[in-house]
Formats: sequence, structure tokens, C-alpha cells
Amino acid sequence: MNYTFQYGQVVQYIPYLLGGAWLSLQLAAISFVAGAAIGLVNATALSFGPRPARIAVRAYVTFFLNTPLLVQIFFIFFVLPEAGILLEPYTACAIGMSLNAGAYLTEIERAGFQSLRRSELDAAQSLGFNLRQTVWYVILPHIVKALYPPLSNQFIIQVMTTSIAAIFAVEELTGRTYNVNAITFRSLEIFSVAAVIYVLLTLIVSTALALVGRRVFRVKAKVF
Amino acid sequence: MWSTLRDEAPRFFGYYNLLFIGEAFLHTLALSYLGALLGFVIGFALALFRHPRLFPILPLRLFAIAYVEVFRRIPFLVKLMCVFFAFQIAGWRGSMFTVALTTVVLSAAAFAAEIVRGGFDAVHRAQWDAAEAMNMGRADTLWRVVLPQSWPVILPPAFGYTIGFVKSTSIASQIGVLELTYVAKVLNTRGFSALICFGTILLLYFAICWPTKLLGERIERRLTTRVRPVAEPMMA
Repeated sequence: MNYTFQYGQVVQYIPYLLGGAWLSLQLAAISFVAGAAIGLVNATALSFGPRPARIAVRAYVTFFLNTPLLVQIFFIFFVLPEAGILLEPYTACAIGMSLNAGAYLTEIERAGFQSLRRSELDAAQSLGFNLRQTVWYVILPHIVKALYPPLSNQFIIQVMTTSIAAIFAVEELTGRTYNVNAITFRSLEIFSVAAVIYVLLTLIVSTALALVGRRVFRVKAKVF
Repeated sequence: MWSTLRDEAPRFFGYYNLLFIGEAFLHTLALSYLGALLGFVIGFALALFRHPRLFPILPLRLFAIAYVEVFRRIPFLVKLMCVFFAFQIAGWRGSMFTVALTTVVLSAAAFAAEIVRGGFDAVHRAQWDAAEAMNMGRADTLWRVVLPQSWPVILPPAFGYTIGFVKSTSIASQIGVLELTYVAKVLNTRGFSALICFGTILLLYFAICWPTKLLGERIERRLTTRVRPVAEPMMA
């Protein structure tokens, strides 16, 4: 085992990789927002919807939580063309990740809704709050506080999940790492650099989210 | 679409294909469950090292914290490639299965350490103090006081964590490990439609993950029956 690490050839590509990290963040944000919207609809359906809607949501969540994201995207990417729907790799990944995140976020948002107690609403009523006041001063602050930590956690997971898009030749951080690897052949060097970028990226994002949570929503979110 | 399925099914589920899929199924099972189990053992040790009362040794503690924080923040695919190329440099000539298993164990250890730490933290401070006041040793404190109270907290998330690795191992197809996703890709290139290939393995993954999840929920219910919520939740 005689191997000399040569980071010299790799250093020049770091700005290129950081550009990929920005794309990763974008993809994570898109799929997170879409997933959160899906989750909101689903969680509402689970709480107030009719029985068929509840069963459909349960089936969707169970299926997407118990199968790998990679295979879900493979399915979207290779099976839909057989039905005549051709998707760009980026679009296919975004759709797959949104549907996958939607299942996780349904669970999270449902738990957030359920943490609301009957006694809080009773208290609001006995103080003479109308509906708008109840939603604005009682329900929303409670739900935001309950949901903020798991949601920011899910966003971090979403950032790391985007690396799967590299398998479909999307040029986000991991995809660009593959590219640099093909040019330089300094494989371990470039992948370890990518690993460090991922660690720093998620650390920065979770610190930022914790700070925002503390300032804006008065949530005690932990970074570690 | 359904007609292609009907036409292909007899050929797809032929003897040799079934053998191929069955072997891959076992590999996926072994890779994820064995990896999660070995990872849990290492993760347990890391959680011990990280605990200020059980192992008041600063370097060990720092190592455990750094390990957990770093390995939880790297995507599985990137970890896999790092391990893959590290093995290559070390002159590894063995199976890709070992490479994938190493990756699963390395990342499982980090996640397990967090789960076990959560279990330790769930034990009230007074319990630790009481154990110390009774002059119990560290091993005794862990075995007789802490662990009996932490298991109900540790066990339920451990199932979700195992399912996570069943799903992550699909990425191991990238380095050519013979597991379910790899088989789907191979059969797809042999001319079977993507629908039947990926549809079948989606169902097989589901057949591994869902029972695991149900078992976890069942155990969680059994462990938490004694604790009842104080106020009724609004939307039950």
C-alpha cells in the first residue's frame, strides 16, 4: 500500500464543487417545499377527511416510507417513458424526492397537529377569542413550535438525500464530484473533499435554522 | 402497459430469474440487517464513550462526538464511494459486498450512537445520582439502573433505523453489489420492461421494510402501555 495523497490537483475544482453544493441546496429546497405542501394536504385529510381519503393517504405514506428513494426515482425515470411521459433527469429526481419527502412530512405534520390539546382551545374560547384570534394566537404558535425542530431536521436530511440525483447525472455536488473524478482520477481525494463539503454545508444549514428558530419563532432548536 | 406485464410475467418469473432475484433478496437482507446489527454494537460503544459519567475520558469523548457528527452528515452515496476507493487503494481484491457492508456499519454506528445516547438521556439525573450515592460501579450503574430504563426509549427507533439501511443499500448497486436494485437494472438491460423489473423489486423492498416497521410499532406499544398521556389529544 503505497499511495500518495495529491490534493494539489483537486483544489482548483473546489469552487466548481461549491457551485454544485448550491444546486444541491436548491434541489433540497424545491423538494422540501413541495413535500411540505403534500404533507399539509395529507395531514389535513388524515385529521378531517372522509374514510376513503384517509385510507389513500395511509397507503401513500406506507408505500413511500417502506421503499428506497433510489428505486422510486428509477421507477419514475424508466417506467413513465413506457407510458409516454418523458422527463428530464432533474425533473424526475425533483418529483421523486418531493413525493418521498411528502410521505415523511405527512407523518411529521400530523404529529404536530395532534400535539394541539383540547384544553388550549377551551382556554381560548373561555377568553372570548374568535376563530381568527384562536388560529393566530393559539393554534399557529403552538404548531410552529412543535413542528420547527422536526421540519428543520427533515430539511437537513433532504440536503443529503439530493446526492442520489448524481446517479441520474444531475450535476449537483455529488454529480460534479463524479465529473472531477473522471477528469483527474484522484478518486479518494475528490470524494473526501466532497464529504467535507457536505459536513460543512449541513452544519451551516442546521446552525442557520437553529438561529432563525430561536430569533423568529422562539424555538429552542439544538444544532448538535 | 398491463398487456406488456401479462406478456412478460411468465418469462420474467422463470426459474433462473427467480434464483437471481432470490439471491439478491438475501444479499439485501444480509447487508442491511447484519450491517445495522454490527453498527449498533459499535454505536453503543460510541455512546458509552460519549457519556461524561460512564467514561470521563476527554479524548475518547471528543472522538465519539466527532465521529457521530461527521458520519451523520455525509450522504450514503459519498460514504460508499470513499470506502470503495479506500479499499481500492489498500489493494482489496475481495467482494464488493464487503465494501458495502463496511459502509453500512460505519454509518450505522453513527446513527445508533445517537439513538443510544437518547436512551441514556431519558434516564433521570436523580437515578444516576442515586446509583452513585449507593456506591455502585459504572458497569453496575449501566446494567442495573440505566439500561432497564433506556431500552424502551432505544428499541422503537432502532427499527426505523434498520429500515433506513434496507433502503440505503439500494445505493450499493452503484458499485456492483448483487442486491435487489442491481438485479432490477440487469434484468432491465436484458430486455424486460422497466415496469416489471422495478415494480417487482419495489414490492420486495416493501416486503422487507413493512413487517419490520409493524414489529417496531408493536414493540413500542407494548413498552409504552404503562405510560398514558395526561391530557387527551385533540384529533385522535
